[in-house]
Amino acid sequence: MAALPVASDLARLARRLGRSTVAVLGPAGPVGSGVVWDAGGLVVTNAHVVRRPARVRDPEGRLLTARLVGWDPERDLAALVVGAPLVPAVIGDAETLRPGDLVIALGHPGGGEGALAMGVLHAGGRPGGGRFIQADIRLAPGNSGGPLADARGRVIGVNAMIANGLALAIASGAVGAFVAGLRRAAPVGA
Amino acid sequence: MSALMDLSRDLARAVERAARAIVAVKGRPDLASTGVHWRPGAIVTADHTLATEDDLAVVTPDGRTIPARLLGRDAVTDLAVLRADLDLPVADPGDAPGLQAGHVVLAVGHGPRVSWGVVSAVGGGARGHEGDLVRLDLTLYPGFSGGPLVDAEGRVVGINTSGLSRALRCAITAATVGRVVDEILARGRVSRGFLGVGLQPVRLPETARRVVPAAGEVGLMVVSVQPDGPAARAGLHLGDVLVALDGRPVQEPGDAQATIAARPVGATIVAGLLRGGAAAEVRITVGERPAGRP
Repeated sequence: MAALPVASDLARLARRLGRSTVAVLGPAGPVGSGVVWDAGGLVVTNAHVVRRPARVRDPEGRLLTARLVGWDPERDLAALVVGAPLVPAVIGDAETLRPGDLVIALGHPGGGEGALAMGVLHAGGRPGGGRFIQADIRLAPGNSGGPLADARGRVIGVNAMIANGLALAIASGAVGAFVAGLRRAAPVGA
Repeated sequence: MSALMDLSRDLARAVERAARAIVAVKGRPDLASTGVHWRPGAIVTADHTLATEDDLAVVTPDGRTIPARLLGRDAVTDLAVLRADLDLPVADPGDAPGLQAGHVVLAVGHGPRVSWGVVSAVGGGARGHEGDLVRLDLTLYPGFSGGPLVDAEGRVVGINTSGLSRALRCAITAATVGRVVDEILARGRVSRGFLGVGLQPVRLPETARRVVPAAGEVGLMVVSVQPDGPAARAGLHLGDVLVALDGRPVQEPGDAQATIAARPVGATIVAGLLRGGAAAEVRITVGERPAGRP
């Protein structure tokens, strides 16, 4: 029964990753997902899912208003600050992964409740000048802005789009640079 | 998380191992397909990805373009074999009989690029395909045809193709690939048994089935006979209804075709017929299917 430890590991990983994943809300429910990037309550998501006023639902189901502190439509990244303590994700690096390594996504595909998907890293190459990780994983609109993690549960990217059936996630390094840019521009905090 | 991490590492290692024996195949203008270095100097790819038989080339994992020559192709199994002067390791074919529905597998394209999924079913064939196929629940991305289907241990258990079925993702088993490669290396082609008849299913009335006990509910009416073909030489006529081959009922043209194709050329096969309301038997010497006739 070699598959059972894999299944229980996956369930544990999903619970852990779920504590750092929020739903980004539109008028009628989730339109995307977000990753709690640091202990200061900074949530990273895609620029294309953010509505104003920005609202999120945290993993406990609380509705929170969020302050938009960064919005970069060219990089399709946005940063929100919510006035509540959230558990930050562990940030990893896709450079440590090889094609075939497992990847896990959590999010709100189709506007539904938090949903898990599992796939593999599609290729070592990074389109978009190195910005995008390519994953063979079945995502849907609503996964946008949510985490793509490795088998340890470390977030290696922020899911951004689906192109020819492949999921493209903005690599954690590029997200980190975006967040660092915000901090230089203005101190971000609660 | 150790089990999940172990699985992740195993899959990445499997890709790495398989990718060493993979090339990109330049055989059509738009999109390179994938090829597997199957025997020293012999590369297998999917036949439907070769739009030309000249000016073929393969590209090694480290980016060298090497000219290649077509040794032979077989549209039935959708396999082609190329010769190129390669210094790559050869693939490590797996034990296809051990492959079962539910096994985790990877499809690897040149790059390497990867998709993963599970085996949906083993055995059975697409229309006209006598070899066993593996049906897959995974994505075959553009350019993946001709590439290896890899198990979690990194063994090549088949060659992926989107060319045999529009709707299904399939792989040709390593055993079939090995057989086709051997035949092409030996003779430059794959010979298949052939009767030279066109067959059309017809429902058999109860009275007819009493006459020919071996018959099923459906027989295959002979609607065309190739002049001077194996069936014509054996005396098969238009209007004969084929009900059995070597005593086993045949109900679909695909059944009959698969049975005959698997026979060596020159073998004798006994055709059970319903002819003019009576049972008849005809011994047919299996001929060789002409090239280009799937």
